[in-house]
Amino acid sequence: VTTAGLTATKGSIAEGATGSSVGRPRRSLTRAAKTIALAPFVIVMIVPLYLLVVNAFKSNDDIAVRPFSAEPKLLSGSHLWAVVTSPDYNLLAAIGLTTFFVVVVNVLSLLLSGPAAYVIARGSGIRNRLLLLVFLVGLFIPTQALVIPVIYVLRYLGLMGTIPGFLLYETTLTLPVSMFLYVGYIASIPRELDEAAQLDGAGRVRTFWTVIFPLMKPVVVTAIILHTIGVWTDFVTPQIILGPGSGLYTVMTGVYAAIGLHTTDLSIVYPNLLLAVTPVLVFFVLMQKRIVGGLTAGATKG
Amino acid sequence: MSNSELLLARSGRAGQPPAPAPFPARRDGSPTPSRRLAATRRALTNAAMVGPALAAIVLFVLVPIGVAGYLSLTDWDGFSTPDFVGLHNYTKMLGDAEVRSAALNTVIIAGIGTALCNGLGLGLAMLLNGAGRGKALVRGLLFYPYIIGAVIIGFLWSAILGPSGAVNSALTSLGHQPLPFLSDPHWALGSLVFVVVWSILGVNVVLYLAGLQTIPESLLEAARVDGATPWQTFRTVYLPLLAPSITVNIVLVLVQLLRVYDQVLALTNGGPAGTTETVAFQILSSSFRRYDLGYGSAESIALMIVVGVLATAITLLRSRSEKAVQS
Repeated sequence: VTTAGLTATKGSIAEGATGSSVGRPRRSLTRAAKTIALAPFVIVMIVPLYLLVVNAFKSNDDIAVRPFSAEPKLLSGSHLWAVVTSPDYNLLAAIGLTTFFVVVVNVLSLLLSGPAAYVIARGSGIRNRLLLLVFLVGLFIPTQALVIPVIYVLRYLGLMGTIPGFLLYETTLTLPVSMFLYVGYIASIPRELDEAAQLDGAGRVRTFWTVIFPLMKPVVVTAIILHTIGVWTDFVTPQIILGPGSGLYTVMTGVYAAIGLHTTDLSIVYPNLLLAVTPVLVFFVLMQKRIVGGLTAGATKG
Repeated sequence: MSNSELLLARSGRAGQPPAPAPFPARRDGSPTPSRRLAATRRALTNAAMVGPALAAIVLFVLVPIGVAGYLSLTDWDGFSTPDFVGLHNYTKMLGDAEVRSAALNTVIIAGIGTALCNGLGLGLAMLLNGAGRGKALVRGLLFYPYIIGAVIIGFLWSAILGPSGAVNSALTSLGHQPLPFLSDPHWALGSLVFVVVWSILGVNVVLYLAGLQTIPESLLEAARVDGATPWQTFRTVYLPLLAPSITVNIVLVLVQLLRVYDQVLALTNGGPAGTTETVAFQILSSSFRRYDLGYGSAESIALMIVVGVLATAITLLRSRSEKAVQS
């Protein structure tokens, strides 16, 4: 409906203004109409980011009275410093721990799903299709609905509240997407490569890691980006499995621990949020093309 | 052939003759002991390669689904041994006003959110299609919420829309009354829908842009030559060819919104007075607050069934209409 509206407006404005269908005026008018249609969206996206940056440097009173002001005399770095040295949680430790989780989950995810995807992609018959289906079921299970029984399973295994338990579960959550991407990609790699490697005397495992895996670089990058964002932004899993009492905070659970108690003091809220988004925004600016490409591949392949 | 040459070149053996096959050729006579051994070895290797991943999925996805089914028939509090209570949790759920309100909120958020994300997402993708630095910048701007985390987004908007937030401060200084964005039940639900759409719209734009790349220029040219209006071009060229993208986008957004939790927690914390609680919020916050994880499990099972049925139904319905368009 919206698109129709926009397209129609675009057309009629251009039509009415020029009277004829030729020439530059029509084109620049269409462009102007597009810009006008986009403007509200740009504003709604930029303003929160602007407020986030500016207010991280202001006192609670100044935030309340003049939230949009960026006058230098209002600004000070002391609020940011207070968050870095906060007793609620250690922000730098949380960034370190989250980064550690991201790395381990990505490595484990690849070690588990790579060889499995290879076998399924190279196999045929109903058994392999069913096997793939078992992995893909995970794509549609709401993790919030899974977390209570997972607590039960982890407690049974003696892994509840532990880092290994968290890492195993978090890795498992990445497997459906990895399998989906890898099986599709490996299926497009010619089988002659495997046969040639096997003629050279390489076994299945070696064939995968030395011949197939090096060719999978683009899809592995896609998976790593998706899992990195997934692990970094996951709140429910660390909050419930590691628990608020453990003192182990990821960036998300740490921000929740710090802000959940002080939501009325905006001079604590804004600096916490700014410090939490800075690493990912840097990552985003550096990797934007790959992130967007990876997301597209993740949602549309297969 | 060229591929295997490439491979041989890579492994530095290009000049050597290929080694003899380790296994005799298939399909000749009865299995010899060495062939049977080789087949067994191959099966064992396959099992070893799939096993760990399969074990993880079974242990942490399939078994938990079964465990949720079992726990939903008990009164588990999260610590002690669960006692069997039959279908009590399910019958209680049917008459529970809180669950009904959470289900209604979830339906509203998922319904309006899916419509807005897809309508606006497709519209913005049409506007942002093509090269240009400005367009790339706007695409990046629309997309950044996806990577900063729903909890952060919820807190950020609660700081902006709260009683002493930036918007109300601006309204007051303009001589306006402050608006109850988060403190009135209806406003709060509206704010929640807005924030949820704000946070995932960029993903839809990116996916629709990818879909637009698949439309052949020749068809658009043909429409232009035939003198089609923009609306006609949209209806007869864009819409049918985007059918697969539309399916993917609807299912993705719907599955995501039916389980929306983080934004609710950080933006309204389910308030005012529990009026913006969603089903996922009920499952997590409520069952942990009340130590009634058996009841939470029953709600989990209900949510899984709804999500599974809806995702399957939409995919099937849409694939039928996609086929209808193609024929």
